[in-house]
Amino acid sequence: MSHPAAPAARNVAEGSAKLPPWAMLGALFGVVSAFSILTWGPIGVSGTYPRFVGAVLRRLDPAFAVGNPYLEKMGSLIKPETFLVLGLLIGGFLASRIGDGRGSRTEFIHTGETTKGKRYRDAFIGGFLIVFGARIAGGCTSGHIISGITQLSISGLIFAAGVFATGIMTAKLLHKGGR
Amino acid sequence: MTIFYALLVGIAMGALIQRVRASSPAMIAQNLRLENLVVIKFMAMTIAVGMILVYLLNLVTPMHFDIKPTYVIGVLVGGLVFGVGFGLGGYCPGTCVVGAGEGRKDALWSIGGGIFGALVFSLVFEALIAPINKLADYGKITLADVLHLPAVGVALGLGAIFLGIIYVLPTVVKKT
Repeated sequence: MSHPAAPAARNVAEGSAKLPPWAMLGALFGVVSAFSILTWGPIGVSGTYPRFVGAVLRRLDPAFAVGNPYLEKMGSLIKPETFLVLGLLIGGFLASRIGDGRGSRTEFIHTGETTKGKRYRDAFIGGFLIVFGARIAGGCTSGHIISGITQLSISGLIFAAGVFATGIMTAKLLHKGGR
Repeated sequence: MTIFYALLVGIAMGALIQRVRASSPAMIAQNLRLENLVVIKFMAMTIAVGMILVYLLNLVTPMHFDIKPTYVIGVLVGGLVFGVGFGLGGYCPGTCVVGAGEGRKDALWSIGGGIFGALVFSLVFEALIAPINKLADYGKITLADVLHLPAVGVALGLGAIFLGIIYVLPTVVKKT
């Protein structure tokens, strides 16, 4: 008599455990982001770029570096965020080696990217704009969008609205008009 | 100890970003073209779970919150500039570091562009950026401050809204 109930119970259990991979990974990232705020502070990446520039310039041209108010304001590289960025490099390396190794090839992402040179050009200009934009706003995807909205900050919501407005427009325009 | 926790968080974050393929610029471009919403839904899930957890934890233990100031013009302009770079290159400042760990050559170009961007930014900050960022500066405000509601309630409510949106939105919009 317990037979009809047993498969039903199993289905329910399977159903609840069967989150799609992105949802599992997202929930785990949520736990990691909360752990970060519990132990030292919210995750953030883009501030490490000017701190790195400051560290290099303090060796090459100390007088210039000390005279630059922004580099002084951002301070030294001896910060938790620097180790977070180092961790990103290690985490990406480990996960790709344990996994399928798909990361090693260069992907073309718009119709206009017909050669590796054009891809590298887009990556370079894109890299310039994301860090420049993030420094105007005071944070990037991790600091403003992930940590910011997690902490319910208004700045995170405004930044996210800006990013997706031009991000979606740029990606769509480049793909159609690229050929 | 702080540095050890930050390194640990970075490694976990890097591995999760690699696994969901958020470090793939082609995947990011598909998401921004709204053909595939895996990374957008992944981020929404992260935020929903994170906000519910941190504000529940905050009831029992002090948290290291650090709210960024809302200087409306600078934050919005920064987001708009960031979006163009995100759509063009398919990387954000963190995912290109993960991509470099994976061995992606274009990720190194993105990091190079980012370092150059930070250098140029440091040169123009005082003259061009600092004045803009003084405009419409509301300080470190949260949605809970604006709504005059307890933060934990707002976190549970907004978290539930995010989860609802995640549930309703399709994951693959257009097969590529």
